[in-house]
Parts: sequence; C-alpha cells; structure tokens
Amino acid sequence: MPGLIQNEWMKIFRRPGTYVMIGLLLIMTTVAGAFIKYQESGGTVPDNTEWKRGLQTQNESYQKQLEEMGEMVPRDMKEQYQREIALNKYRIQHDISPNEEYSIWGFVSDTSQLIEFAGLFTIIIAGGIVASEFTWGTIKLLLIRPIKRVKILGAKYITVILFGLMLLAVLFGYSALLGGLLFGFPEKAIPYLYYYNGTVQEQSMGLHLIAYYGLKSINMLMLATMAFMISAVFRNSSLAIGLSLFLMFMGGQVTRLIAMKYDWAKYSLFANTDLLQYYEGVPMVQGMTLGFSIMNILIYFLLFQVLAFYVFNKRDVSA
Amino acid sequence: MIPALKTSAKNGQSITSWEEDEYMDTLVEIQDVTKVIKGRTIIDSVSFDVKKGEVFGFLGPNGAGKTTTIRMLVGLIGITSGDIKILGSSIKTDFEKAVSHIGAIVENPEMYKFLSGYQNLIHYARMSKGVTKEKIDETVELIGLTDRIHDKVRTYSLGMRQRLGLAQCLLHDPQILVLDEPTNGLDPAGIREIRDHLRMLARDRDMAVIVSSHLLSEMEMMCDRIGIIQNGKLIDVQHINDFVQGNEKVYEVEVDDPDKAQRMLKSIYPELPIQVTENSVFLPLVRDGIPEMIKEFVRTDVKIFAVREVTKTLEDRFLEVTEFKGGAGHARTDSK
Ligand SMILES: Nc1ncnc2c1ncn2[C@@H]1O[C@H](COP(=O)(O)OP(=O)(O)OP(=O)(O)O)[C@@H](O)[C@H]1O
Ligand SMILES: [Mg+2]
Repeated sequence: MPGLIQNEWMKIFRRPGTYVMIGLLLIMTTVAGAFIKYQESGGTVPDNTEWKRGLQTQNESYQKQLEEMGEMVPRDMKEQYQREIALNKYRIQHDISPNEEYSIWGFVSDTSQLIEFAGLFTIIIAGGIVASEFTWGTIKLLLIRPIKRVKILGAKYITVILFGLMLLAVLFGYSALLGGLLFGFPEKAIPYLYYYNGTVQEQSMGLHLIAYYGLKSINMLMLATMAFMISAVFRNSSLAIGLSLFLMFMGGQVTRLIAMKYDWAKYSLFANTDLLQYYEGVPMVQGMTLGFSIMNILIYFLLFQVLAFYVFNKRDVSA
Repeated sequence: MIPALKTSAKNGQSITSWEEDEYMDTLVEIQDVTKVIKGRTIIDSVSFDVKKGEVFGFLGPNGAGKTTTIRMLVGLIGITSGDIKILGSSIKTDFEKAVSHIGAIVENPEMYKFLSGYQNLIHYARMSKGVTKEKIDETVELIGLTDRIHDKVRTYSLGMRQRLGLAQCLLHDPQILVLDEPTNGLDPAGIREIRDHLRMLARDRDMAVIVSSHLLSEMEMMCDRIGIIQNGKLIDVQHINDFVQGNEKVYEVEVDDPDKAQRMLKSIYPELPIQVTENSVFLPLVRDGIPEMIKEFVRTDVKIFAVREVTKTLEDRFLEVTEFKGGAGHARTDSK
C-alpha cells in the first residue's frame, strides 16, 4: 500500500498543473495579506473604550425587537438574536472586549475563505485520478499487476485525501507565517467565544482555528469524495469535476431554497456538510442536530465509496 | 497434463517431437472460455494450452477476438463462462497469484507520458514484489534503452515505447509473456529484434510466450504453434511446420497448353481448386498422387516441362484456412 500511494503521489507531482494549484493558493493568500495590511482600517483597533455600554444598548435593542414582534419573529432570526445577546452578556461579565487587535489569528481566520480553493483543487485531482488512467490508456498496465483492484482504488482515494490535507496544511501554515509577519501576535491571548446549546464557552484561539479549518473542510472532503466516485464510475474527469464544482457553488443555495418550503431538504448532503451552523449560526432546517448531520454525512460517504468500489471492481476494462 | 493431451487429440495429429515434450509443464490453460458482451458472443468456447518454452501465435483477422481473449487472460475483463488457469491458479478466483506470473502488453503499451521511462518502470516495479533497482537497470540494458531511459516518454518514438512496454512486462521475471501485436508500428529491424528477444526468452528462460499479430510472415518465423481464431471461434491449432505445409502440397506443373490441362484435371479431380497461369497449372496434391497425375497428362497428350513443389507461406495458408472455414473475414478495425 505505501508503494501504491507513493506511485499516485508521483503521478500528481510530476505534472506541472499541481504546482500551479499550490502557487495560486500561495498567491491568493499573499494578496489577501497585502490587501488587509494596506487597507486603511486594517491593523488598527477601533477606538472605543465605551464598548460595554455599546454592547448593552445592542442587547436592549435586540430584546425590544424580539418582544415587539412576538410570535411573528422568524425562527432563525430569533435564534440569531438570542445567540448575540448571550455572547454580549458573556463579554460584559468577563470583561472580554470585542475590539481585538487584528493579529495573526484574525488573518488565519480570514484566509479560511480560501479553503474553498483548496477544495476546488482537491476536486480536480479527485476527478482525474481514476478517469485519467482510462483516457491515458494506462489503466490496462495498471490493473494487470498482482494487486487487487480494491487496493489500487483505495490507494488512489487515500492519495486524494492526503493531497487535500497537504493543501490545507499549506494554506494554514502559510497564512500563520504571513499573518505573524504582517500583523504580529496579540499582546494577551484572547479566547474565542462560541455559543452551543444555549451556553457560551471559551476556547483557545489556535485550537479554535484548527477546529474551524477542520469543520470547514468537511464540505470539501465530501465533494472530493463525490468527484472521486463519479470519476471511478463514469471514467470521465470532466463530468466528475464539472458536476462537483457545480454542486460546490450551487448545492448549498439550492438546498437553502428547498429548505424554506420543504422539510426533507434536511436529508440533502449540503444541508449537513456545514457543521459550523451548530456553533456559529442557525441550522438550516429546524430540528436538525449535530448528531443528525454527522449521521447523514457518514451515510453519504458510505454510499459514494460503495458505488465507486463496486463499479470499479466489476468493470470490464476495454479502454 | 490432461488438457495438453486433449489438445493433441482434438487436432488429430501424430506424435511428433514437440508432442513428446507434452509432459513438461503446461503454464497456461484456457478452458472452454466464452465471452458475451451485450448479448453478443464475442468469444465462443475457446480452449488451448501453452507450455513452457513455447511461443504460441494467436492469429486472426481484424475483429476476430484476439485482444478480447488476451484481456480475459490477464483479468482486465470478466469471463462469461469457462476458466483460465495460470500455473494452476484461476485468474477468476485467484487473480493476484495467477497474474503475478504474467507480463503483458495489451494493444499499445501506453505509459505515463509526463514521466521518464525510468520513472515508469519504478512505478510498475513498486507494484510487484521484489523488483530491485539492479533488476530495473538490467532490464533496461536488455531491451537496449539505456541511453534514453531518463528522458520523458513524451519524447519517445513508437519503437522506443514498444521497447519500454517490453521492459515493463519483464521486470518481475514472469514465466508467461502475453503480447498483443508487439511488432505493431516497428520497422523491419525493430521487428527482427523483438522476434529474436522473444525466441531467446522462450528458449533460454523457459518462458511461455503468447503473441498475437497481423504480420503473418512474422508468426512463421517466431512461433512454435499457431492458433487461428475467427469470429470468436478457435478454428485451428497446429504446429507451425504442419500448419504451413498441411498434408497436401501445391504443385506447379509447367505445360504447353494450360487450358487443356485444366479441362482435363477438372474432369478427373472435380473437387480440386486449380489455378492457371500463362504456362503452368497449380494444384494441391499429396505426394503419392503425382505419378497418377503425370500419367493422365501423358494420356491426354499435354506436354510437361517441369513439376515443382510450391512451398506455401503462412499467409497463403492463413487466408486459405480462414476463407474455407469461416467465410470471408470481416474487414473491421478497432474503433479506438
Ligand atoms: N467492449 C466491447 N463491447 C462490444 N463489442 C466489443 C467490445 N470489445 C470488443 N468487441 C467486439 O469483439 C470483437 C473482437 O474484438 P477484438 O478487439 O478482440 O478483436 P481483435 O482480434 O483483437 O482485432 P484486431 O486484429 O483488429 O486487433 C469485435 O467485433 C469487437 O467489435
Ligand atoms: Mg486487437
């Protein structure tokens, strides 16, 4: 197995396209850094010593709105307000100012937007890793080795995952490096606050960001798995990449639209891949829980894998 | 042992020297193999064996089913019914073991063009057990690609790619080589080289070699036995010399009046295919029939200047067999 993964890794890194992907990721991070740095309000702290009073008024206005609207208030708005109120109260009680200095953590958190690009590149690799062997005609020589097809496909999938992790590591590492250089470390460690199940909790910034990256990558992981499955089943990399990218950009929106009218939208993959909704926002459909989403993700994952492995194992190879 | 005997019985041949070796190991057994794709029977009950040290030629017109048979042999496609055994292991149920004895090229040996020849070999070496760096170098040396092995495959000529393909299947020291049209696209020198390689491998390393080819004259020079396949059916398996010569030979009789000779022959041997040229007639005959034929010529007053035996080439024989047994072959090429 290590040899097989080594082979796949070699086939990825002997192609110039791969370096273009990594280069683009680095360039985008750099541009983001430069942009934030030279933006006027960039690195400065909002000059507001009266922040406690500010939060107090904010809370009062939220409270008032909720009371005025009463039963009319939409569910997600209500939950959003409750969350804000709880976080503000916690800040006032524990003396944690919302006006943090923009630092390395802020930057790493901002560049987490670029995970979408890391995902996009992983999807491109996943969509090609099986289908390309068919278009190159090399599948014949690959499958007449004394190795079961299941193992060959397994090595390919693991390689895709490793490639995705590598891109994430590059993004995280480079962002941290660049953020540290451009914006420096904060003077005192500021905890990250999150609201889950009606209570507010503290977490260290570094840990929070790693978890944040991890949760944000689930969507990408699932889309890459789907691209891999399409690649193995239909032997067509354009289809695999095209469909997965389309769903990456549209899947969430479409599910959100359906969710406004129908409850079953909660079974859609895209209603569940964003686990951050349970910590930072409002679940897409009322009644969804973290456990439900994890279950859903697992079922989709198994479905993709079973399809890919079953078809690839049975297929007559006459490319 | 038994299937080997079955083959000889089927072909109804007398014991000749190669058959005495039949107790040597049979490395490949193809047992009543059938392949149906979308309701069409592409391979129909094909059986044959290949032994150690033997070069087996697989011959047939375009679309006959050579590549399909080879694909089943190396496990690229499933077998609808029947079985294929490699050193006793079934390719169906014991794929890893069976295929570890095979080195193969199926159609063109497509390699990773963005890798160098050497990297390609490393890639395949990692997929078989116990292939060392020395072994790779040795193989590269053997197929004569040392100068260019570190260049990208993209820059290789067709002949160099064929050589690399050959290197790829020799890496793990297989006992069986399966080559689908290995001389495809090679110049005469390249063809000759491949031929010599194969003969050498079969003889010196005691490998079993299965080759398919369109170049019939090639088969004649490199194969010990020939199997002819047409429309998915194996219609003949013969030792090369028996195959080329058959029981009958063709004789050319040089005469003063070929037309008269033909009329006379037609009346006596109405079955025989007789050909006429400007000053000779050609007819197939067994040796013992010659005096009788000459007598008839003399009786009808046809002057004979010469009677010569015409040695048939494999090509003549091939066309003869395929036309006679299976009707005209399809002129179909692979659509890939
Ligand atoms: N995947 C497939 N689906 C349908 N028909 C197929 C498939 N593969 C092969 N065939 C058919 O099977 C027959 C045998 O094809 P095959 O490629 O084995 O011929 P071949 O003897 O190798 O011919 P050639 O000398 O042209 O290489 C052909 O009629 C071909 O059209
Ligand atoms: Mg063919």
